Amino acid sequence: MKNKIEMMQEIKDLPVVIFNEIGYSYPNGTEALKDISLNIFKGELMGIMGKNGAGKTTLIRTLNGLIRPTYGSIYIENENISSKSIATLSKKVGIIFQNPFHQLFANSVEEEIKFSLKSLNLHKEEIQMRVDQVLQEFSLEKYRNRSPLNLSGGESKKLALASIICRDPEILVFDEPTLGQDAKEIEFFINLIKKERKIGKTIIIITHNVEFAYDYLPRTILMADGQIISDGPTKKVLNNEFLIKQTSLILPQIRQFSIALQQTGYRDVEDVLTKNDMINYLSNLIQHKASNI
Amino acid sequence: MSLEFLNAFKFIKKKSIMHKMDPRSKLVLSLIYTISALLFNEIIPLFFIFLSLVPIILLGKLFKQWIKSIRGLSFLIIFIVVLDTLFISFSFAIAMIFRILTMVSAFSIFFLTVDPNDLALSLISMKVPYEFAFSFSLAFRFVPTIAYEAQNIIDAQQSRGYEMQQKGLINQIKNLFPLLIPLIICSIRRAFNVAEALESRGFGSDKERSYYHTIKYSLKDWIFTFYSLLLLSVLIYISIGINYNFMPEFLTWSLPV
Repeated sequence: MKNKIEMMQEIKDLPVVIFNEIGYSYPNGTEALKDISLNIFKGELMGIMGKNGAGKTTLIRTLNGLIRPTYGSIYIENENISSKSIATLSKKVGIIFQNPFHQLFANSVEEEIKFSLKSLNLHKEEIQMRVDQVLQEFSLEKYRNRSPLNLSGGESKKLALASIICRDPEILVFDEPTLGQDAKEIEFFINLIKKERKIGKTIIIITHNVEFAYDYLPRTILMADGQIISDGPTKKVLNNEFLIKQTSLILPQIRQFSIALQQTGYRDVEDVLTKNDMINYLSNLIQHKASNI
Repeated sequence: MSLEFLNAFKFIKKKSIMHKMDPRSKLVLSLIYTISALLFNEIIPLFFIFLSLVPIILLGKLFKQWIKSIRGLSFLIIFIVVLDTLFISFSFAIAMIFRILTMVSAFSIFFLTVDPNDLALSLISMKVPYEFAFSFSLAFRFVPTIAYEAQNIIDAQQSRGYEMQQKGLINQIKNLFPLLIPLIICSIRRAFNVAEALESRGFGSDKERSYYHTIKYSLKDWIFTFYSLLLLSVLIYISIGINYNFMPEFLTWSLPV
């Protein structure tokens, strides 16, 4: 019995994406990626952070072959992707780009989603089923026959998301999903990634939103000048003041708060990393003070 | 697919005699080369007109970009060869290739060496109203931006299974819609944004304006213009000569096919 669990564990721990020392230079000579080696495991939820121009978007574009690395190789599910077409790779890797208006073109919301499903060689019933399912999941049913161009900003972003999710790719990649979204839309997105993760999807998110990453992403890599400068648990990576300064990010609020507390003399606040820990720490402190009086 | 070739018409600041020249003198040159290319149907004169552009390209340090723009034409060139050979002759096709190369090279010299801002200034100096001159230079300013956007649209569509290659002409045309519609819509959106940004900065509030940069027609511009006009008159003379048969025979040489 134990053996079986161990085996399951091993399968789960196999990296689904392997970047093997890849690099990329643009045709004009700019070096966008340098010696990147990275393993991404199945079912992982990972953030990529860094300055604008650090190479984050270039890195994710290599995943479905939009950009082919100048040197090095990439393996997805143990297969080298260098000889695979973008069309084949897009079945495994779904990239959702920032601007939804770069892909919306159909006459209606329904057709927009059907277009995404067209290249999957599905039966008519299967297509209709998936369309209905995804429209319901994204609560876009009431817009079914509306033009995608008449949707509000948040809804068109949702539709762009839906048009990738309906293809059911194993690896989901989001380019700044929280940008310009209101609190409700961000909440919807968080629920979505939780749901996708439950069914075993690997999720990669590019973000500048420190609080979002800190609260929801277990692992984060930091990029600067085309290189990965840090890779590890988000709570560790984002609390490193030295690294944060290099990438023009700001420390998470909880960390800023604990630094402020430390400066006023509460030295033992050092390892308080989460909101819950902070609440516990503070309530302990208040109780302690109260009992002292 | 890459839209690299659009870079062939993108202005890059460089230090060269051609870059320092006044836009108007370069416009005259480009127009005269275009007219000259239209004067002839024979291979030899068209070839020499084309050849005479090469030193100007080298003076402007434009060789690499120029080669790129020519490469972008390859599809059109194949088209011309096929059609002309089918309906007229192979010899005529070759002549037409030199004609189109001359015209494109002349204008790529112009666009590669003229700063879009100076372009507006030179139009204004030719009494074009500022609004038109500005929108003209704005249009050029946005060519690389739109190329960049087009690449992003291609990437976004390919990420959801869109395939660039399709069989059959009708399918290929149909296949353009997922790219063209977002591109047009994004361009219209941007146009509105630009208009709002301009208006909020008071565009067109005063009839009279002052300019930070100025352009000047200097001695070398006059020399250049003189050269262009001389070239045109010589070529007109030769062209008349060919028509009235008082020019040497070799000028009208053509391939036997």
